[in-house]
Formats: sequence, structure tokens, C-alpha cells
Amino acid sequence: MEKLKIGGLKQSLKLCQFDLRGVDSSEEIASKVSKLLLSQKINMEFLTYYPNRNSYHQLTFCISQDKFSTTSEILKKEGLLPIGWKIRSREQVGIITIFPHQSAIKILGVIMVSWAAQSVPIYGIATSLSALSFVTDYQLINKAIEGIQEIFQLPEDHAPLKPEIRYYQSDTVKGD
Amino acid sequence: METIAVYWESRIKTYGFQRITDLALIEFSSPLSEIKSLGKILSQDDLIVLRPKFIISQVSNHEISFIFCLPLKESKDFHTSLEKTSTPTLHKYIHPVSIIFFHGPHFGDRYGIANATFSSLSKAGLKIIASGCSSASVFLVLAQHDIEKAEEILSETFEVAK
Repeated sequence: MEKLKIGGLKQSLKLCQFDLRGVDSSEEIASKVSKLLLSQKINMEFLTYYPNRNSYHQLTFCISQDKFSTTSEILKKEGLLPIGWKIRSREQVGIITIFPHQSAIKILGVIMVSWAAQSVPIYGIATSLSALSFVTDYQLINKAIEGIQEIFQLPEDHAPLKPEIRYYQSDTVKGD
Repeated sequence: METIAVYWESRIKTYGFQRITDLALIEFSSPLSEIKSLGKILSQDDLIVLRPKFIISQVSNHEISFIFCLPLKESKDFHTSLEKTSTPTLHKYIHPVSIIFFHGPHFGDRYGIANATFSSLSKAGLKIIASGCSSASVFLVLAQHDIEKAEEILSETFEVAK
């Protein structure tokens, strides 16, 4: 069977994930939590927010894995989240980003079928203009990528899948 | 190899704001145990014509939920095709909604972008229907009548590169 063509594929460094979930609240959770992470100079590398369900709202975000303990502690501080809100965290996740030429829904469906068959979990999905990003278990990220490479055809001159450089936003700015 | 990028912006720079209007939002969910069946439905060839402008998925309590934004005509067809299946369960169909999205020179590497976005819109009393941030871009779904105001607020918050 001919492989579906995609424009590219990349994987993230090791991240961690937090799902905050609770009933409707007058508090703006996304605003409150993002302010808290700003105070700790923590970058959100992935975020989904849906405050529109009848029974509950959910904010999911991924940050660098080395910020897991700090973030867990501050999120659990009493009074931060509205009463009844729950935190679910995953200590090691990774993001696989696919750049489809077209047919994003079909590619999404094909990956769901493939990963389900290999017991590779999906912990979150978000799209941007040209990409489809999947959060999965970091321990299974190589298996997940192998699954994708079996189904999809990458360009011959494809860039490395793993990031080669890690950028940090520095706390200090040095003069010349 | 690790590289430290050193920069400072008094206002976060973006490459500008883009809008997509006249969309409908469809929310549906499925038990995680049925994710393979849902994947088979989504990978059907008759859905290949659909061009979703926004997709997010969240996982909770053994369930996976999806939020799709599609042009109105496509959304009606998609909604109808999902209604014919036992999986997934449809929850919401909201229209008209619009998307405003943006990215910038340091998005992906720096902190503070989500806070600048959510705090400024919240202070202005604008309600976000859904949001997804990945691959160094920010996507916001709002009621269609809020999109003009949202762009105005975001343009005051961020610096648009010229």
C-alpha cells in the first residue's frame, strides 16, 4: 500500500503535563495559572483550554520536565484552584509534531488507529496553521515515531527529528 | 549542545494577527477504549475534503474529547456524518465562531505569552471559547461578535513587527 505523504515530523525534548479540571467557576483559570507560571519564568510549550463544557472546564499544559516539582508544588497550594478542581499530572511526556500537506483529519484518524494498535497513548492534541501536535508518553516516543514512519512517507531531505539545540530565555542581559 | 538565547522585549513581539471567520465549533467525545473506532471514522475517505481550521483534544477520566472548528458548510456535513455513528457522542455545536491566531519571533522559547494573552482578554471581559497553543503559535476561538474587540486588545498587548 502506498504511504501517505507528509511534509515533516519532529519530536520535543522531555516535558511534563498538567491537566487541571473542574466545574464552572467565575475565576479565569487560564489567566490565573499562566500568571503563576510567568512568576516562575516557566514557558508553556503546549496548551489546550476548553472552558465551555456544561459540566467541567479543562486546562492542559506541557512544560519542561525539569520544572515538574516546582510546578506541582505551586499548583497544589491551598486556595490556588477553585474548590472541587482536580490536578492530574504526567511526569514524562513528549510531543510529536507532524506537518501534513493536507488531509489533517485523515492523518489524525490514521495515527489514532496505529497508536491504539501499539498501545501508544494520546494525552492531548493541538493544531497550528501547518502542524498537528500529539502529546504522548515520553518512554514510548520512539515507538510512536516508528509507527508514524511505517505509515507515512517523509521528504528525502528531512531534517533531524530530535532537537539539536535547546534555547533558554536568560534571566540576565549582558552588555557588550 | 545547549545554547542560551539572551533577549529582552518590553512588549512581546508578534508577526501580526490573523482571523478566520464564519466557522462552527463541534465538540464530541468517545471513551478511550474506543479510540481505535473513532480513528477509523476520522480516517474515512469521505472526510478528506474537510479542512479543519482548529483541532484540540483533551483526555480525562477514560474519555477523549475533541473540539473541531470548520467552515459552516463543512461543519454541517461533518456533524451529520458523526450523527450517523454510535461513536462518538456529540456535545456541542456552536456557530458562528471565529479564530484569531498569531505567532512571533521568540514564541516557543519564552515564557509569558499565554499570560499576556489570557490576562488581557480576561480584563477586557472577553470570553474564550477554546484555545490551543502548539508549534510556537497561539490559536483562540471566540464568538464571532467578539473577534474585532479581541484583535484590538491583543494589538495593544503585543507589539506587531513591522
